[in-house]
Amino acid sequence: MASDDCKRFLNQLESWTEGERPANAGAHLRSCVRCQSVVADLSTIQAEGRTWGAQEAEPPEHLWSLLRAQLEEEGLIHATEADGKAEVVAAKQGWFGGFFAHIPRPVLAGAYLSALVAVCVALSGPLSKPTNEAQWLEGTEVATSPLSAQLNSFEQDPITSSRDLNPAVTASLHENLAVVDNYIALCKKSVQEEPQNEIARDYLYGAYQQKADLLAQLHERGENVQ
Amino acid sequence: MITGRAVTTKSNLKAYWVTAGLLVPGLLLSSAVYAGPIRHEQHFKVTAHPVITIHNPSGLITVKAWTKAEVMVISMPATTEVEVDAEQMGNRVDVSTRALSESVAPGDMKADFQINVPEDSELQIHNDAGAVNVSNVLGDMNVETVAAGVDLADTSGYLTVKTVGGSFQCSRCAGRIEVSSITGSFRLIDLKSTHVWAQTSTGNILFNGEFLPNGTYSLKNYSGTIEVRFSPGDSFDMSATSLKGKVNNEAKLTPSTHEHHFVPRWGNALFGTFNQGRAKVELTSFDGTINILKRD
Repeated sequence: MASDDCKRFLNQLESWTEGERPANAGAHLRSCVRCQSVVADLSTIQAEGRTWGAQEAEPPEHLWSLLRAQLEEEGLIHATEADGKAEVVAAKQGWFGGFFAHIPRPVLAGAYLSALVAVCVALSGPLSKPTNEAQWLEGTEVATSPLSAQLNSFEQDPITSSRDLNPAVTASLHENLAVVDNYIALCKKSVQEEPQNEIARDYLYGAYQQKADLLAQLHERGENVQ
Repeated sequence: MITGRAVTTKSNLKAYWVTAGLLVPGLLLSSAVYAGPIRHEQHFKVTAHPVITIHNPSGLITVKAWTKAEVMVISMPATTEVEVDAEQMGNRVDVSTRALSESVAPGDMKADFQINVPEDSELQIHNDAGAVNVSNVLGDMNVETVAAGVDLADTSGYLTVKTVGGSFQCSRCAGRIEVSSITGSFRLIDLKSTHVWAQTSTGNILFNGEFLPNGTYSLKNYSGTIEVRFSPGDSFDMSATSLKGKVNNEAKLTPSTHEHHFVPRWGNALFGTFNQGRAKVELTSFDGTINILKRD
């Protein structure tokens, strides 16, 4: 489970990524492997994003909004304007826009999902400290519940938007989505039975990543065929 | 008899002419009405290391290397409502399939391709359904599909393949291979690759190739079987873990001298060194079976 220091650091992540280096945040980062991992992952995502193609199609606006809303809810970013349009402008001017402005939105969508998975893994619990099963289970649930809810909300739209796709492709995507859902359920069961089982947790996070990839593909294709 | 035959012959000739008079216009008419797949051939002169991108919703894509410094694209769209665009931008050739009208049924958005490229070409292929076959191309390659199977032979370079449900087969491939899928199975045959990373959820993985010195081989699935074949002369460090499945091993492994393995408390795990342990092999499954077997 994340410590209070970790939570404080994650709340300061916005300014940290802007280049600010508050002393307390720096001190915590030097001593916390989990937060180092989060920062490293974000840096990797940013670096990778720069190398990816710039000709990607725009994702559906609601996907963008959902991701942003989820990140705000998680406390990883903060809205600067209440109004939707103003929010986009503000985002472009703030760290969020400055950090990611040059990266295409579908790349960001995937990157955010990856970031969420990474953050969830980081927050899921200390890997080296012995602790009881309830804490491990709580850590995993804290990490995966918002992700699961977010993925489920994404899942609602592609089913309608992908109706114009090649039937064989649509069928394959949905069949595989069902496989991954089943895989997630089995991994969850395994984690609940053995909360400290790091292999089961790795597979669970891997399954969420696969679901995120699949849903991103469905969204992309739904967008492209319209 | 002779007269009779002559009369019969004249009668037959008349009948033939009548038949021909009906058939020929009929055939011409039917050929005009039938508008089946149109074969279109295009040639592009290229220099060293050209890049060829192919974006196709569905169909059979066959790419072969040849010795000419040009790219030949033979396309066969499924209907006249579908068109293939192939254009050259410098040393890059972009091939894509597009609909000519909005009324094209999603299932008709397909085209087959036969493409010949120089062997040092770099390929980027996106084909949702159908199949992708590539042989003898030595440049880097990226293939993405949903349901289409991918079959590579005698390739090299940095190969990245991503499918959702399509299978993947690689025969006599070298270089670096990274492949991922959800339900697709992998067959890696006679590989000479120094880096293999293969991950699928429910598919099977077969690795029957050489473990090259300093090579890393990571095979991971959720369920299904992971089968690795080894020869007596191979040299590798083995780490095999199945959380809920079995690990069957025919290799006489000795305790590893190269690194300290983290031995998990969960599942069935096996660690050890075969010969000098020059390659690193990691096999991981959730509830699948892992077989480490002698090569026949």
